[in-house]
Amino acid sequence: MIEVQDLTKRYGRHLAVDRVSFKVAQGEVVGFLGPNGAGKSTTMNILTGYLSATDGEVFIDDTNILEEPERVKQRIGYLPETPPLYPEMTVREYLRFVCRIKQVPKNEIDDRIEQGLHKVGIVEVYNRLVGNLSKGYRQRVGLAQALMGNPDILVLDEPTSGLDPKQIIEIRDLIRDLGSDHTVILSSHILPEVNEICKRVMIINEGRIAKDGDLATITNDLADASQVVVTARADEQATRDALKGVVGITRVDLMQSAEKDATEVLVLSEKNSDVRAEIASAFASKSVPLIGLRVKNATLEEIFLQLTSGVQEVAS
Amino acid sequence: MIAIMTREFRTYFQTPAGYIFAGLFLLVSGFFFAFGNLLNDSSYYTSFLQSILFLYLFAVPLLTMRLLSEERKQKTDQLLLTSPITVTQIVVGKFLAAFGVFLITLLVTILYAVVVAIFGDLAVSQTVGAYVGFALLGASFISIGVLISAVAENQVTSAFFTFFALLFIWFLNLVKSVAPTDPISSTIFAAALVLGIAAFFYANTRSWIAGGAVAVVGAIAIVLLHLFAAEIYIGLIQNVLDWFSLLERFDSFGLGLIEIEEVVFYLSFTAIFLFVTVRLIEKRRWA
Repeated sequence: MIEVQDLTKRYGRHLAVDRVSFKVAQGEVVGFLGPNGAGKSTTMNILTGYLSATDGEVFIDDTNILEEPERVKQRIGYLPETPPLYPEMTVREYLRFVCRIKQVPKNEIDDRIEQGLHKVGIVEVYNRLVGNLSKGYRQRVGLAQALMGNPDILVLDEPTSGLDPKQIIEIRDLIRDLGSDHTVILSSHILPEVNEICKRVMIINEGRIAKDGDLATITNDLADASQVVVTARADEQATRDALKGVVGITRVDLMQSAEKDATEVLVLSEKNSDVRAEIASAFASKSVPLIGLRVKNATLEEIFLQLTSGVQEVAS
Repeated sequence: MIAIMTREFRTYFQTPAGYIFAGLFLLVSGFFFAFGNLLNDSSYYTSFLQSILFLYLFAVPLLTMRLLSEERKQKTDQLLLTSPITVTQIVVGKFLAAFGVFLITLLVTILYAVVVAIFGDLAVSQTVGAYVGFALLGASFISIGVLISAVAENQVTSAFFTFFALLFIWFLNLVKSVAPTDPISSTIFAAALVLGIAAFFYANTRSWIAGGAVAVVGAIAIVLLHLFAAEIYIGLIQNVLDWFSLLERFDSFGLGLIEIEEVVFYLSFTAIFLFVTVRLIEKRRWA
């Protein structure tokens, strides 16, 4: 459905996107995950035809977007990072304008707007000026805009940014719903969000795809049990003593404990080892009350650290 | 294109821009009419028409300053450029909206002509000629404003530079009369022109090769012209400036003459500026 080959974008000397290639099949919901400035928005801007690539090509169903831009653009709905809204128009006027530039046939415009309003839940602000809407509503009007042309591909750049938790859940549900009959590419810098909506994740860093695949596999790969957080109802010395006998531990670091009268330490062991069982029995044998034992989840930052230090290995 | 035009046209009247333009234009032209014709008991309408030409300097920047600069600032250009419409449709749509507002305002001043016709003798052919000339000149000025609004970062710089571009055209006749005509200064002028174009290419493509190629081709052209058509260098500055002397060409309209040559000049001037605007927007996507 979407095929990107060796996409490169250079801003002067700065390399924003560096030879990115991927394919997205029909009906897939793909998340671009990456820190700010990783090249997510630039890639999306090229996919939608807003920017041109310095090098490389984008095909939508084997049609190069540069060769038949009008035909391809009709099939893509795009919600950019900043929703492209005209503050002086009402929601109704705005959506009507969008329908017209998306070449929606005149007799279908009213139905299309009606459906869009219900889908994204903005019926109640239908006649208000876009400029007076809250951030959450604006984001939703932006989303309605992307749906107006009845596209089969949706490109959503940080669709939940700036929303409150309730709205985030609503938008996520909506996107998941849209994913059933659209091909969706969305971007985010929040790991759990992508986790919720997308099956497939592309981690982008410094303009390159650092990892592409199933999210569960990616996190499992990275979060091995070599980092364990241990919480004990004891002072630091007793905790360290209890850990002393366990074979394979390389380092013990004191952490800030969330609980009173408890010590929390981060235990590092040899790579790909799992010392949790040994830790539990060590504490039991020394009668130090162990109240918590968990594998430290890799945060997005850590995933990036790991990925960027091992880009060569991943790329192969 | 019609969608773009309609939206833009409505925006003029949903925001202060349209009212400020029309209000200012009609207020000042009303002053000119009142003091020049009514209070002087004069039916010499042509002098009034000449004097409101001056208003264009201030009014056109107000009309065109937002057109493309604001789209970029509000990021709504992302909507337009990712929609299945061409850049030409966007630019022409916007131009037509500004021209429409301009034309409506201009038509209101026909009331003044009617007043003169009722209470005095109206020089009909001169007046009709002048209005046709006004519309054409307005179109050319607006196309300059459209181009500048595509380059400018925001409305203020857009208005500012449009004003100075128009001011330059306004003073062009003066510049022309003092500019030297000898071949040497003409050559220097041609060289400066080539350098300017080369710098423009470099700024737009960020490639030394493109800029350098333009400079080399230009230099060769200058030398070749010297060898084979040296007469072109006599009065070259005047001839180049003539392309931009929009106001001078207006004179014949004021006399009631509508000459095809002048009409074609204004229309092609407008078309060229709009075309350059389209190219600039398309080019920026590659930058």
